[in-house]
Amino acid sequence: MAAVIKTVNLTKRYGTLVALSNLNLEINEGDCFGFIGPNGAGKTTTIKILATLLQPTWGEARVCDYVVGYQSRSIRPLIGFVPDYFGAYEDMCVQEYLEFFAAAYNINGAQRTKIVNDVLELTDLGYKKDSLVDGLSRGMKQRLSIARVLVHDPKVLLLDEPAGNLDPRARIEMRELLKELRRMGKTIVISSHILPELADLCNTVGIIEQGELLYSGPVADIVRRARAGTILHVGVARGPEQAGALLAQHPSVESVTANNGFLQVALRNGVTDYGFIAQQLISNGFQLNLLREEEVNLETAFMRLTKGMVQ
Amino acid sequence: MLGIADYFWRLIPGNPILRRVVEAGGKKKRDLFVRCGYLGLLVILVIWQVAVQTTTSDIAALSKASVSLFQNMSYLQLGLVALLSPIFTAGAITQEKDSQTYDILLSTPLTNGQIVLGSLLSRVFFVVALLISGIPIFSVTQIFGGVAIRSIIYSFLIAASTALVTGAMAMSIATFKVGTRRTIFSFYLFIVIYLVGGFFLDRMDFTHISYTDASGTATMTQTSWLTPLNPFLALQAIFHDKSYTPPLPGDLPSQYQAWPIDWMWTSPATFYFSLMFFLSIAMILPSIVLLRTMAQSSTTIQNWVLEKLHVSKGDRTRKPRVVWHNPIAWREARTKASAARASILRYGFILLGIIGAVILLVMHSTEITPAHFINASSYDPTQNSLFIDGDTQESVHLGSNLSIKYGDVDEPQTFITNPDGKYEVKDYTKDAQRQLATITLADYPRELSSADAQTWLLGLTIVEFSVILLIISNAAASTVTREKEDGTLDLLLSTPITSRYYIWGKLRGLVSFVLPLVAVPVISCFLFIAHDLFRWLARGENNFPWIVFPEALILIPAMVIIVSSFAAILGMQMSLRCRTTVRAVMSTVGIVVGACAALGWCGYGILNQTGSVNGEIGVAIGVFSPFTLLAILIDPTNYAAQAFNIGMYPNSADPTGARWVAFFLCLIALGAYSMGIWSMYRSMVKNFDMTIRKQSR
Repeated sequence: MAAVIKTVNLTKRYGTLVALSNLNLEINEGDCFGFIGPNGAGKTTTIKILATLLQPTWGEARVCDYVVGYQSRSIRPLIGFVPDYFGAYEDMCVQEYLEFFAAAYNINGAQRTKIVNDVLELTDLGYKKDSLVDGLSRGMKQRLSIARVLVHDPKVLLLDEPAGNLDPRARIEMRELLKELRRMGKTIVISSHILPELADLCNTVGIIEQGELLYSGPVADIVRRARAGTILHVGVARGPEQAGALLAQHPSVESVTANNGFLQVALRNGVTDYGFIAQQLISNGFQLNLLREEEVNLETAFMRLTKGMVQ
Repeated sequence: MLGIADYFWRLIPGNPILRRVVEAGGKKKRDLFVRCGYLGLLVILVIWQVAVQTTTSDIAALSKASVSLFQNMSYLQLGLVALLSPIFTAGAITQEKDSQTYDILLSTPLTNGQIVLGSLLSRVFFVVALLISGIPIFSVTQIFGGVAIRSIIYSFLIAASTALVTGAMAMSIATFKVGTRRTIFSFYLFIVIYLVGGFFLDRMDFTHISYTDASGTATMTQTSWLTPLNPFLALQAIFHDKSYTPPLPGDLPSQYQAWPIDWMWTSPATFYFSLMFFLSIAMILPSIVLLRTMAQSSTTIQNWVLEKLHVSKGDRTRKPRVVWHNPIAWREARTKASAARASILRYGFILLGIIGAVILLVMHSTEITPAHFINASSYDPTQNSLFIDGDTQESVHLGSNLSIKYGDVDEPQTFITNPDGKYEVKDYTKDAQRQLATITLADYPRELSSADAQTWLLGLTIVEFSVILLIISNAAASTVTREKEDGTLDLLLSTPITSRYYIWGKLRGLVSFVLPLVAVPVISCFLFIAHDLFRWLARGENNFPWIVFPEALILIPAMVIIVSSFAAILGMQMSLRCRTTVRAVMSTVGIVVGACAALGWCGYGILNQTGSVNGEIGVAIGVFSPFTLLAILIDPTNYAAQAFNIGMYPNSADPTGARWVAFFLCLIALGAYSMGIWSMYRSMVKNFDMTIRKQSR
């Protein structure tokens, strides 16, 4: 599959501050790429460079094979940029707002009206078309932002924190809308701090910290990579210390730690079958009431891979 | 006792808001530049006047030069204070809200008084510091004598009280939520109109009163009702200028001898600064009392009024309008103009302007029937007699030694034998033998004479033009910064819109935005031209005394549009360079007001220069200033007397040559302005990306 977005040694400096350092990224057509990292890690800078709003200090960024900076004019019709704030014009209603941006993409006449109506329908904003933009709720504004970037049917959507500060319902609606766009074949780059949602929405993710890309690839891979070994949570009715000492002697067990009356048992690398734990405890007279493998998700993977350092 | 002292200490000297602004302000580069610029201008004036203009070593002449220097320095000081005070104080309207510290301040134990006085004094502090820094320069005037210390103190008090009242006004606007960022412009506009309008009204007879002086002669006061209310006029009154001296207490008519009217008339300067200090207190006290109450209210006074007037329904929906092919131009021209407040201002401006012009025209065209008059049928050639109508209604025989005059001009009986109009008979006297010695004829007097109509019309168009310039400067200066502030600029820059398209769209939209306003001075002039056209066709004179020259219908709209475009592109430049709307608006309005004042001053000076420069050359240079052009086209007898000695009489000098010069040179001036606009546009397009990129760091 062709790479729609590609960065090679992308570097951005603000004076002495290095916002991005040799970022190498490849996002394929139809991917939904989740960009995660602590505040100040360089996510917005990357997205702004891809949106042709910033020039890299060094390196190269390509969108649909056009180079940012040299061929920005060719890139702009192909992208839709949603920043982490809502750019609201005063005294403009929803339909005018969309028509305004449609005109900015040189869509005029009857075609413009049709497209705007279609987009309003797709984003479920039809009933709000006469409302003034600056009077909309935050969720509606965010929805309108998505509608705005759909009027010119871009190949790539660059979304910077689209679900930030939204209430749970608005967030779920936004996620469903993005899933629909993904089904429509759009390539989506989305930065967010709400990792479970990214895990649900994205097929690939990139983790960035202090301007450096720590990981980029499928979600399943990162979870696998974060999983250093299997960790089990074990609970017994009486004598957890004795049970811990018993399990620690087993050759497949790396370590056992007590935690609030429960045991956290780490297995050695490569050990995936943990049936022996139950067998050994029961045969030694312990009453087993919990045996659960620790779940490794995007959040845990993120916490394990990043150090929480910000610039 | 200690508590009271502590309260007052915390109210002003120990006020944390005042200390923050004063300490931070003193370190700002911008403040340093402004201070250096202010003192630099004063120093340049001193050097120019002392070293260049004063060539004599005669003590009396030096003393005279010192007085002149003091007057010029005082005007410059007051002009700069009037220009800078709104810039420094208007920030109070929005700054706390912009930086989102307002609510935090209100939630602290700071009292209302501390917050209001802290904000007010921190704004005024800079201007007062400027004034104080100028004292050593003013002391130069004491070297040669001739200037009373009291005059210097009055000059400083007038400037300081002007700064204080400006600040108090800004604070009241902020406290009572009658203003937002947009109000800054209205605030500036109000101050400019007040200063300029007061100056113009002072020239009108009705603002003066008549009195009988010590010698028993009935005369008009040189100062007016406006003198104690306008800082420039009050300042002029302290200079002991023979043409602008307040009346003595004993000279005033009895009805004006009661306090405070007598104080107003006899000592306008002290009245002015006392009134301004009082007004400042009157504006600040309610702010102190109601600060937190107003902050708790959920609506603004402005919105409340608009809803009550049914201008705004307060709802948040509206039928969509058709967006143009160039959305940037559409946004500038349509959405800004349609906002409720903007609509009121625009329609109010158009309505008031046209009503004003119609009133002037009606007054001008209304003839007052004189006591004695003649008309076409008055002369009887068979009897060589003249029927004088009016109060007398009698035929008089025209003797051979009768002198007939038209105005000041000796005329044969042309006006009587071949009358083409109606004439008032003045100085109609008869001796004991009932023989006429002199008949002086004049056109029928009108409610508003031609000269007064020209003065008023010029004043009206200048005010309209100034308002248009200020409106477009404000709109242009806020156009890019506002998009930067609300984040819409990034959205636009990520679309295929190019910098050329963006800037052109802005310029086109801004000019479209003010076009309906430009029509107002044009229609005002058109009304008079159409009126005069009918009179001209009826009279058929070659040298017709037009109220407004007909070529004004081409030159005025062209000049107003091009100069407005110039102000627009200048405002856009500032808007692109400045990070905040407040700063961009203040800088642009300051530059436009300063440039117009300088151009108008130079143009007026050139038009009236006598000696080496003849009238046509003055006109040729004068048309490059838009305000002077208006004066040439509307009131040439007053403002370009040398070139347009047209008077109201047929045998006066023919102004045709000067009119042609004005017409062609004005076209060249328009070309020069257009070139300026084009080069600024090109430079903006070229540097747009670079400037935006620098700011995004």
